[in-house]
Amino acid sequence: MTTFSINGRSVTVDVEDDTPLLWVVRDAVGLTGTKFGCGIGLCGACTVHVGGRPTRSCITSVGHVANAEVTTIEGLDPAGQHPLQKAWVALQVPQCGYCQSGQIMQAACLLKDFPTPTDQDIDAVMAGNLCRCMTYIRIRNAIKAAAAELRNGGNHG
Amino acid sequence: MGRLLHRSACDVMPLSRRAFLIGASAGGFAFGFAGPGLAASEAPETAAAAFEPTIWYRIDRDGIVAVNIIRAEMGQHVGTALARIAADELEVDWANVRLDAVDSNPKWGLMVTGGSWSIWMTFALFSRAGAAGRIALIDEGARLLGVDAAQCTARGGTVIAGDRAISYGDIVRRGDLSRTFTADELARMPIKPAAERRLIGRTVPALDIPAKTDGTARYGIDAKVDGMVYARPKIPPTRNGCTVRSIDDSAARSVKGYVSSLALDDPSGTVPGWVIVFAETYPAAIRAADRVKVDWAVSDATAVSEQDILDHGAKQIADPQGGVMLVDDDGLDAAFRAAKSTLAQTYTTSSVLHFQLEPVNALAFEKDGIFEIHTGNQWQSLILPVLSKALGLPQERIVLRTYYLGGGFGRRLNGDYTVPAALAAKALGKPVKMLLTRTDDMRFDSFRSPSIQTLRMAFGDGGKVTAMEHHASAGWPTLVMAEGFMAKGLHQALYDPFAIAGADHWYDVGAQRVRALSNDVANRAFRPGWLRSVGPGWTNWAVESFMDEAAHAVGADPVAFRVGMLNGVGRNAGSSPNSVGGAHRQAAVVRRVARKAGWGAAMPKDTGLGIATTFGQERDMPTWIACVARVTVDRASGVVKVEKLTIVVDAGTIVDPDGALAQIEGGALWGLSMALHEGSEFVKGQVKDTNLDTYGPLRIGDVPEMDIEFVASTEVPTGLGEPGTSVVAPAIGNAIFAAVGARLRDLPIRPATVKQALARQS
Amino acid sequence: MMSLKRLLIGFAGLVVLGLLAFFVLAYEPAIAPITPPPAASFPADLVARGEALAGGGYCTNCHTAKGWGAFAGGYAMQTPFGVIYSTNITPDPQTDIGTWSEAAFARAMRDGVARDGSYLFPAFPYTHFTKLSDDDVQALYAYLMTRAPVQAPPQTNGLPFPLNMRVLQAGWRLLFFHPGRFQPDPARDAAWNRGAYLAQGLSHCGACHTPRNFLGAEKDDDRYAGAPVDEWIAPPLTAANPAPTPWTQSELHAFLRTGVSVLHGTAAGPMTPVVHGLSTVPDEDVQAIAAYFATIDRAAERQAGADAAVARAMSYASLGTGNTVDADARLYTSACASCHYNAGKLPLAARPDLALNTALSLPEPTNLIQVVLRGIGSHEGISGVVMPGFAPGFTDSDVARIAAYLRRTRTSLPPWTDLDQTIASVRRQIDAAR
Repeated sequence: MTTFSINGRSVTVDVEDDTPLLWVVRDAVGLTGTKFGCGIGLCGACTVHVGGRPTRSCITSVGHVANAEVTTIEGLDPAGQHPLQKAWVALQVPQCGYCQSGQIMQAACLLKDFPTPTDQDIDAVMAGNLCRCMTYIRIRNAIKAAAAELRNGGNHG
Repeated sequence: MGRLLHRSACDVMPLSRRAFLIGASAGGFAFGFAGPGLAASEAPETAAAAFEPTIWYRIDRDGIVAVNIIRAEMGQHVGTALARIAADELEVDWANVRLDAVDSNPKWGLMVTGGSWSIWMTFALFSRAGAAGRIALIDEGARLLGVDAAQCTARGGTVIAGDRAISYGDIVRRGDLSRTFTADELARMPIKPAAERRLIGRTVPALDIPAKTDGTARYGIDAKVDGMVYARPKIPPTRNGCTVRSIDDSAARSVKGYVSSLALDDPSGTVPGWVIVFAETYPAAIRAADRVKVDWAVSDATAVSEQDILDHGAKQIADPQGGVMLVDDDGLDAAFRAAKSTLAQTYTTSSVLHFQLEPVNALAFEKDGIFEIHTGNQWQSLILPVLSKALGLPQERIVLRTYYLGGGFGRRLNGDYTVPAALAAKALGKPVKMLLTRTDDMRFDSFRSPSIQTLRMAFGDGGKVTAMEHHASAGWPTLVMAEGFMAKGLHQALYDPFAIAGADHWYDVGAQRVRALSNDVANRAFRPGWLRSVGPGWTNWAVESFMDEAAHAVGADPVAFRVGMLNGVGRNAGSSPNSVGGAHRQAAVVRRVARKAGWGAAMPKDTGLGIATTFGQERDMPTWIACVARVTVDRASGVVKVEKLTIVVDAGTIVDPDGALAQIEGGALWGLSMALHEGSEFVKGQVKDTNLDTYGPLRIGDVPEMDIEFVASTEVPTGLGEPGTSVVAPAIGNAIFAAVGARLRDLPIRPATVKQALARQS
Repeated sequence: MMSLKRLLIGFAGLVVLGLLAFFVLAYEPAIAPITPPPAASFPADLVARGEALAGGGYCTNCHTAKGWGAFAGGYAMQTPFGVIYSTNITPDPQTDIGTWSEAAFARAMRDGVARDGSYLFPAFPYTHFTKLSDDDVQALYAYLMTRAPVQAPPQTNGLPFPLNMRVLQAGWRLLFFHPGRFQPDPARDAAWNRGAYLAQGLSHCGACHTPRNFLGAEKDDDRYAGAPVDEWIAPPLTAANPAPTPWTQSELHAFLRTGVSVLHGTAAGPMTPVVHGLSTVPDEDVQAIAAYFATIDRAAERQAGADAAVARAMSYASLGTGNTVDADARLYTSACASCHYNAGKLPLAARPDLALNTALSLPEPTNLIQVVLRGIGSHEGISGVVMPGFAPGFTDSDVARIAAYLRRTRTSLPPWTDLDQTIASVRRQIDAAR
């Protein structure tokens, strides 16, 4: 039995400790915005926040997040209006969209750590998020646009 | 703002619409228009929910237009593109447009999304449908306003006559919309001149995008239904020909949640040797399936590896018999005999995997006598007969429920993954949600076959090209999976157009011969698939590398050499409506891209420019495209750095400029990925790479500078999803040659092969 | 002239005398059992002080096994001599230590002798607790005697004959046990001495960080020189620590107090209970421990190269990112850089820098392998933050490639030669525990 909070709500699940958090989030809790892509932590589609830090939920055991705070894409912003989400729409970033929950969650932490990200920062921190449609040019531009909005006093940190 | 209405199993269709649809499909009109009076007589008098002049859209009492989209939404925002075409003619505001991604149904006709076809196939149809609706609304609006229809215009969802106006919504509420059109009238329906377009050619927000930023977009993998059992397959050692001898699940029984294992009996022969492992949760299914031991009688494909496929192809090429001719001009052999000089080269490409980010999956169950398959799919029409055979049910009792696709790229053209889910659900008598892990998915991929091609060119005086031959051998996906789509070549012989397109180029090379060879070793050893850009992905690698080698052989500049042969003479003149201008338009993009990229300027050491050009996917629907790659090569390590890609595209009318840009960006990066970063190997009956630890598609740090330009045009819109892909690799190969004189003839290009090529050259 | 026979008789007599002396030496009387004192008989502030001390000594870490009650023992310690189980130290009268008087408790803590006079195995670090003051022992007694009693019979140790004979410990003690209270060093200030008292006594750092001889005794000459523990490596706490920057007081204080230090990384594995335990100890005590070790590792003298080391490490942080064809670099970048990349002058605490981490600089790859395979749970390292474990997803080859790549590019140390064996061995340990 493991208790943790997800998007501000406390949940207790009765699954084995080494069950990947991804499946707990998707199937037990029912939030399907977080996706399954490779299962070995190399594509980033499963990225959630644990304690505010980006974490690959497909290789994180649910036992490891006991009493921790998990945030999924659904909980990043109550209205889906985080500056990154707005930039993603404004610049028409997603193509098939399957990787984008993970991209946005990863980028959200990127901007916390590097409020004025350089291309090198983006290359390194986003490298683990594969976009098979290869919409990388727009991802990069949207990150920079959101960074500018945040620096100019847009909410969210 | 538009919003995608997503159909799910739970939606209930409004009664009036259901009645209309039954009427329409019984009537069987090609354009889906009602028979005389049918819609009006079925619809309740004052309670008409919507005006549905066509099966392609309806307008409700609030003036909201819901457009039915039969194409798979897989990143190309096809729904937005198509809806816009109808909405433009219909004269409605984009904010009032919704999309309805429909489930499979015979009334829609052919349901397929691929080939970069969607806009080209639909443009005229939807334009006329929109125009027809507009005319019907003007007629009825005029009547309600008490004026003559000729005095009215339609704009922004409103019929206007001077200072009087009535909204479409009000017309639906108060009017009696029963105007119908014959097929003839529709075919002659005038379409707006380009200057009147309000949506086409402008950028509008794609309606699928917001849901893709907040986690609410639902893909096949997200489908669920109460009482479903999870399933994971045991993939046999080879795609074809394995049979299950025994199953030992003793080690799986200790996995909490494990249910059972089952060898599938598949009358359609789609998934031979498959065993399905059932569990109450997916993690349990993953774990249990790892522990289930299956003893297979294994097919002889385990003796086949990549080199065997290429060796067989080489033999096929060397044998003048065999294969299918697309083009075989008289005088070709004579031209070669009389040639001043000749050039011959052989090119190969290795196996390439789809790696669509959402692994294939399907949820299947029977409900109210209908077998439902919930998944993302690109070719419902192809797999429905197969499902019918597998399940032993008529097609009318099977429906594919539509979801977003987490990547298509041609993998989901092949709906084979629906069959085991359906069979499992039938066997279990319960809903089955079958998911493949990434490793399963890669081992079950219908990947792009390795290819081998030999090209020959004959030169006359002054380096003039007098003849050219192109022989290509690869696995034929269309033969294996969709025989009905094979094309007819010379002597009525059938060939796979998706395995040779590109070789039928628009250059004037004098006498031409193009021969397509079906690599039967490949076809038996695995299931070759259609992978973004299909045949042109490898034929253009050969053609454009060879054109470069030919240019250098006769001392010509690669750009001038190409432009000289794109003279639009004879069969390369093009025709209306799809290829107006023919080779001249290809020459135009070549000249434009060369100028943009600074062709001819001095380059730093070990840096070079290379050019490649293609006509996209099909001769009958050309997208003219040219690319210049600028690369730097490190001689010591063989590492190639692509600094910039300059691309010019002439795709006729650009329905959505921003969407077009996104498709060319993505397609070009696919091309780059397959040129330098991707490429697997078939080893003893299976692909060698089973996850991202060894298979490396392009990542954000690999993206070079890109400059993409579209030629302004009002010609017929042609495809954009794939043409960007096949120009990049040959442009890079040619740039490497320009930079350091090393010629690469095999994809992918790796540092080791660059070093080998450098050594060969010196 | 002595005949051979007389020599032999004389020799045998000596042996007998020796054995007699040995048994006299080894004899410890039993202390009479008492009725367990009621919990209310212990003043609350004494119990509270005892609780803090129990944290500082992480008693619960060894004396609690999964699924048993707190302090009820049963935790298996793998020693080179066999498995030893910790004992039940709840005040249960049947299964110990409910019938132990304070004197018996003090003798056990500081002399390693149980109430019934038998010797305790030095897996219980009485060699450290011998330094504890009377006050502290009294407080610990008060704390333990007020815990919930758990009836849990002792486990049988897995020591082979004759090692399981407790009486033989007398010999070991003669050689290796130096009983006695802590003696402050007059040349050092109060804080240092406080730190020394805690480190050498209560928190028994040397029990993991000092190498042991073949008889399992800590090597006094090599104090804090580093040692293997539970398939991890407890790194040296001396100036021989190979991390690129020295452990200053502030670094170690942050590490012990928060589970992470910017220039060294996060606490994981066997260090996790240390951080948890010390969380009950007043902050100035943790500062004291840090001050003590800052002198042990001569941090002040070694500061000079630290800035350059940090700058170098930060320059490595971007290696392998961006466009590279090196397959190992790409694997590292795809899997790890998203969290481990840093830019600027200093790493962010939430982005543990690998070049600065001791794990990359140790002669053994063990600690790196452990963390890569297991990950770090929310209760370890930075509280509430996790690192996923790559054991389920990665092959041994993947792990080896990344480890070798990091060693090669982030350090100038010779490559590890035993990656494959270490990875296999750690995986076995992980699988066995499942």
